[in-house]
Amino acid sequence: MTTSPGKMNEPVVRVQNLAIAYETHSGDVNAVRDVSFEIHRGETLGLVGESGCGKSTVAYGLVNYLGRNGKIVHGEIIFQGESLVGRSPEELRKLRGDQIAMVYQDPMTSLNPVLRVGQQMTEVLTVHRGISVDEARTRCVEMLRRVYMPDPEAVMGRYPHQISGGQQQRVVIAMALLNNPALLVMDEPTTALDVTVEAAVLDLVADLRRDFDTAILFISHNLGVVARVSSRVGVMYAGEMVEQAPVREIFAHPRHPYTQGLMRCVPRLGADKAGSVLYPIRGRVPAPDRLPPGCVFEPRCDYATEHCRQERPALRQISNRHMVSCLRAEHIRASEWQPTEDIIPLMPAADAAEPETILNVDGLRTYYKQSSGSPLDLIGLGKKRYVRAVDGVSFTIPQGKTLGVVGESGCGKSTLIKTLIGLEPMTGGAAQFLGFDLEKKASKRDMGLIRELQMVFQNPDATMNPSYSVGTQIERPLRRFKVVPPNQIHAEVVRLLRAVKLDEHYYDRRPRQLSGGEKQRVGIARAFAGRPDLVLCDEPVSALDVSVQAAVLNLLLEIQREQGTTMIFIAHDLSVVRFFSDYVAVMYLGQIVEIGPAEAIYAPPYHPYTESLLAAVPIPDPSVAQQHIRLEGSVPSPLNPPSGCRFHTRCPRRQLLPDGGAICEREVPPMQDAGDGHQIHCHIPLETLHDLEPVVQIAA
Amino acid sequence: MLVKDYMTRHPILVDTSRRVVEAQRLMAESKVGHLPVVADGKRLLGMVSRAALSLRPEQLEGLSFWDLTDYMARLTVGRVMTPLSDIHTISPSSTLEEAADLMIAGHVTALPVVEEGGVVVGIITQTDLMVELRNLLGAIEPGWRVVLRVPDREGEFRKIMLALATSNWGVMAMGCVRSPRHPGFWDVLVKVRYCEREELVAELKKIAGQEIIDIRETTSYTER
Ligand SMILES: Nc1ncnc2c1ncn2[C@@H]1O[C@H](COP(=O)(O)OP(=O)(O)O)[C@@H](O)[C@H]1O
Ligand code: SF4
Ligand code: SF4
Ligand SMILES: [Mg+2]
Repeated sequence: MTTSPGKMNEPVVRVQNLAIAYETHSGDVNAVRDVSFEIHRGETLGLVGESGCGKSTVAYGLVNYLGRNGKIVHGEIIFQGESLVGRSPEELRKLRGDQIAMVYQDPMTSLNPVLRVGQQMTEVLTVHRGISVDEARTRCVEMLRRVYMPDPEAVMGRYPHQISGGQQQRVVIAMALLNNPALLVMDEPTTALDVTVEAAVLDLVADLRRDFDTAILFISHNLGVVARVSSRVGVMYAGEMVEQAPVREIFAHPRHPYTQGLMRCVPRLGADKAGSVLYPIRGRVPAPDRLPPGCVFEPRCDYATEHCRQERPALRQISNRHMVSCLRAEHIRASEWQPTEDIIPLMPAADAAEPETILNVDGLRTYYKQSSGSPLDLIGLGKKRYVRAVDGVSFTIPQGKTLGVVGESGCGKSTLIKTLIGLEPMTGGAAQFLGFDLEKKASKRDMGLIRELQMVFQNPDATMNPSYSVGTQIERPLRRFKVVPPNQIHAEVVRLLRAVKLDEHYYDRRPRQLSGGEKQRVGIARAFAGRPDLVLCDEPVSALDVSVQAAVLNLLLEIQREQGTTMIFIAHDLSVVRFFSDYVAVMYLGQIVEIGPAEAIYAPPYHPYTESLLAAVPIPDPSVAQQHIRLEGSVPSPLNPPSGCRFHTRCPRRQLLPDGGAICEREVPPMQDAGDGHQIHCHIPLETLHDLEPVVQIAA
Repeated sequence: MLVKDYMTRHPILVDTSRRVVEAQRLMAESKVGHLPVVADGKRLLGMVSRAALSLRPEQLEGLSFWDLTDYMARLTVGRVMTPLSDIHTISPSSTLEEAADLMIAGHVTALPVVEEGGVVVGIITQTDLMVELRNLLGAIEPGWRVVLRVPDREGEFRKIMLALATSNWGVMAMGCVRSPRHPGFWDVLVKVRYCEREELVAELKKIAGQEIIDIRETTSYTER
């Protein structure tokens, strides 16, 4: 409605010159400095910025939930006309219950693990509002339905751990909405979710804003996510708001060099392959107690001048509704930006000769045995059931190339590479690597094979011994595989450190002294220490900030180019693997449903599952039109996969077939060859798939 | 055209312990004239309005200046609010005309909107009704505003519709009301665009028994 009478009202929340500090033993740390913004009814302000820039501090500061050592130093927070600063904890608690709601990244922080979902939800209404239990239950079921919860009555009877992460987050959102809050603060609410679930939650956030007129503060480090839900966007850097503008404006004309830099760090599904080359921002966010004297972004800025080192720019209006804090904003043309040499990724050269196949996987199966829970198990007579995590996967990779593997969690991506590396026993099929058979478990493999086949993990912490220095961690594979003579080990470690853009000062550091990106670099140095022929990467960048992500991806490319390494690269987001991979495989429930040259995967014909994944990826460009295709529910259990085509329970395209795709339930779909090694497993004829509208339309 | 479409959601609320002076300041700064008074869980207890908060002379009789200041400083919202028993409330699914009717009957200019259980979900004021009236009659786009006076009998409205429909003009607004001071007639307002004044008048004049009592061009209004 264009005539909503709410528009001219005062904002729901107005923050003015807010400064927040944490008291530490070495003095106060000013985590947020002079931040101002307002949010009206029915408006979503997205806050982006790398980790450590103060986004969450702002969110918690709004409701003075800063913990023991946090405090508001100065500034105002006016909520519904009244100041929240200096209110008693009791008043704030009441406000949080009645008018302000918060949703965090981890839904379990808001759920009580020992109470059933229904009980915790109804209590919100019965305890506080004197609504009868029956009426409260009805309302809760309604609200769960409103957040697209499948089978809400059943969910009410479950404990939080009995539902999936995506469903837990929907419960938390539903609970937040039961009180019809005027202000909803969401801190990375979809970061822990799969892209398909994330897409559904983001749709929901957009609906809420419209239907409930809620004012929403939405925090995310993901520019694509922010582009999808926000009406306005604020960019935070090192505790300051450096830019703020309506969503279309800021993505079309970012004015601050930091915002421009962030946008160059993220892959854009809407762009062509060249447009998805990533350029990291050099350096990193300064600690709040080590701020540069002038502009806080100056040490990382390509445009800095002497003036910037002396004067700290204030947030100022540069055009209607667009605010920026850069002294030189008027003179900077983002379109004329050229990457400096140190951040241009060196792409592997295309070689004319067809390289040899290095890995050949044929009908690979990995099943986990699961007991039926019957007492017969105890005496070994129980019926055995199998989780078919990987169920008949075949592919080959030529030397020096990268295969990207995508799919939702639970599709068997990790199990696939754990099997190849020998961490899980192979149930059936075969895999040959450089003539070695990969049947044996890692503990039984010979040293040569172990050396040639290495892995980079999502969470580098898990594989690092906290009591060893960085140098020692990298030395170990060097000694073990006798890569260099013992007297050259130190030099080799330093060489490896430099290769991953850490210098020799890191030799003696402990893991806890490193940032997430630095740890991942050490993990990479270690994996590449033995100069392996094949490196398996399991979501190596998904836990990292966008700027670090770009740097780590480029780093992997460079080392790959130098050493001619072959890679398998797992990602849950199709935009990340695009420029990185030569081939892409899409997995669903233990099987490859589509595989082919990377470019072929991003345009029709595609498998209906690939199409849905592409539609879900949040694109950091609000001008790109993306088809609205949403998958319902989550991946079915691999204990008992659906008959016929395993995707038939969720496929949005089976309607294209006669009888609503009855055949999909009965018959395993054929492999259809689209040429050039591009294979699609689906009953829908290739011509029909070919004529589907592309999911992503680049704006003219 | 229900209350829930035109009300303001998330109204500013106060509780009973709030000082009257603070409530007055809150209303002035937030540019609102009414505040729902609520208990925990946003349950409605009463209303205060700017008008009702101005002191009545009999309350002040016999108070010295200092007494008065002291009295004002201690006065709480709970003491001066109009209690729930004396106010009209409306539900989000009620019609706008019901809201108007309650305001007229109760001599008030605002109504708290409550759900079952007495929880406040919004407020609807005269201004919101005015917005609706303006949109209903004038829409917010420019065009020809015509008022026809038609006899109170079956089939008259249909004639107007037919005349407009055959010409393919856009109808942006419409309203019918019994003609003031002319019993036996209705005044029908239509707002038409994509046509010239002459062709519109010519077409409507063809309708026997009806009279154009006003025609004028209106431009766009301030959007709100
Ligand atoms: N050790 C295990 N025991 C039983 N089931 C497992 C085990 N590891 C993984 N699974 C199951 O195997 C399936 C595939 O998991 P995984 O390989 O981790 O997929 P992805 O990497 O795509 O998240 C899931 O259903 C998961 O629950
Ligand atoms: S003020 Fe100077 S250093 Fe800071 S962002 Fe602008 S150009 Fe860069
Ligand atoms: S075979 Fe049927 S269910 Fe499977 S992807 Fe194709 S259309 Fe969908
Ligand atoms: Mg995994």
